[in-house]
Amino acid sequence: MRSPFAYTPRPGPLQSASPGAAVVYLGALVVVAFLYSNPIVLAAVGAAAALAGRLAGARRAVRAAIWLGLAIALPIVIVNALVVSRGATVLLRLGEWPLFGQVDVTAEAIADGAVFGLRAVVVMIAFAVYSACVDPDRVLRALRPFAGRSALTATLISRLVPVAAADAARLRDAGRLRGPAAAPLGRATMARRLLTGSLDRAVDVAATLELRGYALAPRRRRLNEAFGGAEYPKAFQRRSRYDRRFYVVGPVVLVAAVAGQFLGADGFSAYPTIEVGTEPVTVALSVLIVLSGLAPWRRNA
Amino acid sequence: MRSRSLAVAVVLLCAALGTAGCGFGPGSGVGEVLLTVTRDYGAEPVQPPVAETASESDTVMRVLDRNADISTRFGGGFVQAIDGLEAERGSGRSSDWFFYVNGVESTVGAAEYPLRGGEAIWWDYRDWTDVMRVPAVVGSWPQPFVGGYDGERRPVAVECLGGAAACDTVRAALGAAGASVIAGSPQGAIRVLVGPWARLRRDAAAAQIGDGPQASGVFAELERDGAGFRLTGLGTDGEPVRTFGPKTGLVAATRRYDAPPTWVVTGVDPAGVRAAATLLDAATLRDRYAVATEGGEEIPLPLGAS
Repeated sequence: MRSPFAYTPRPGPLQSASPGAAVVYLGALVVVAFLYSNPIVLAAVGAAAALAGRLAGARRAVRAAIWLGLAIALPIVIVNALVVSRGATVLLRLGEWPLFGQVDVTAEAIADGAVFGLRAVVVMIAFAVYSACVDPDRVLRALRPFAGRSALTATLISRLVPVAAADAARLRDAGRLRGPAAAPLGRATMARRLLTGSLDRAVDVAATLELRGYALAPRRRRLNEAFGGAEYPKAFQRRSRYDRRFYVVGPVVLVAAVAGQFLGADGFSAYPTIEVGTEPVTVALSVLIVLSGLAPWRRNA
Repeated sequence: MRSRSLAVAVVLLCAALGTAGCGFGPGSGVGEVLLTVTRDYGAEPVQPPVAETASESDTVMRVLDRNADISTRFGGGFVQAIDGLEAERGSGRSSDWFFYVNGVESTVGAAEYPLRGGEAIWWDYRDWTDVMRVPAVVGSWPQPFVGGYDGERRPVAVECLGGAAACDTVRAALGAAGASVIAGSPQGAIRVLVGPWARLRRDAAAAQIGDGPQASGVFAELERDGAGFRLTGLGTDGEPVRTFGPKTGLVAATRRYDAPPTWVVTGVDPAGVRAAATLLDAATLRDRYAVATEGGEEIPLPLGAS
């Protein structure tokens, strides 16, 4: 079964957009999630990322990210509640614990942990949408002119992982076909076999990449050479008509978030008592962020 | 049968947790605490003193939060502002909120300082640019002699280094306040050194006063003046402001490393020591870092703090 986070080609704007545009758009949401602690703004970022994922057809990825994020958030809340005894509203006294000292569970520590957890969920959603909607090959191709070796390494790894998974499946099938009397094939044996064969398989993958033209010069230079040094026609440039909206929406969200910081939109403090800012600027910023989730919308979807 | 065992186990667990001090909510009252909030080395009250009953789970921060409008930083561990008076950095000077419990500067944050009842909590907003650390103050008298510090009652030892009459006065004041003075000076005792500065200055803790306010937190200088000594009152910047004459006394507190606080009841001469001994009462010492006396006049130190 395919991972819900695996890239699936679809005709949506986010999938069609160039990797740079998608990164600017989703990256802006992630940056805002780290800039802000106000739960209203964080919830808005989460809603925007989920909306973008849904419009881009990555509903499974969003759902999986929410569950995975909650699985990470819950321990954060519990640990924060036990480790931090600050806050005015004591809900539970758990006495003296070794290493921890006096443990008081306070509403403020729970709220503070919940904000950390919410941030984790939001970031998970944004990365899930990125993973499910942005073609990793195009990202690596875009990176190649700037960091050739890193791009090659990342490409090899990204290709080698499914190759190793397929090898493992084949080995497991082969093990089963030996019959019920044969000794079971342990995980360690399987891992050892895959490891010893990994270098050969990496060479295979590299050879395949070379055969498919990976070692050739970047597309722009090749096309320039093909056109005798003259700038090649715009038609050859692989840009999506959706790029512009992502290049606009991402920076707009980011600039609004930075301006919001100066205008006091990040009103939140957990200690000594919980205070959540609900100023108009916070609400306005949150609405703007949620609306930014509509960027991958397509009229004929 | 199984459900009965489970019920018994739950009851036993609850009983064990209850015995271990566990429970819902802030817990029951443990005793009254006194909260004082001042500024500029105690020169000006920020709000009237408040006495309230502390609960089992109360910390210095929780008591302050209940009685004042505060804002915090560093994850709620550091008080940024009380009643709108905010910590400041600028023009090369820094002011912040400091707190003392029973007259002793805490080594842990206000949110981590548990209360056991009976404590005197004193928050003071001061400029600490020139003198960063004032480890002990006299302004919570009769604390720490009655309630100890860091949640532990301590023995009180009066060390007479000359000036027998003054020693008697000090012992009487401590006894009247409810402190039990023990004989000798065991380790861990809060010491009160009584005597002229010529004798006290040989004590390692008291000698810190001679090293200046940066070392002792006491804004006074005792320098040799001919055959005797001369007391100079310092300002908040640690610079000399006023030189006192003969028969001048001083009551101050200091602390050497993590040792219990040491109070000094001293003077430039025996008359000064006697005068200093009479300062030991709540009305005179309240909200003071240290107090000097000259000709019957009580002079809070540092000078010109307001």
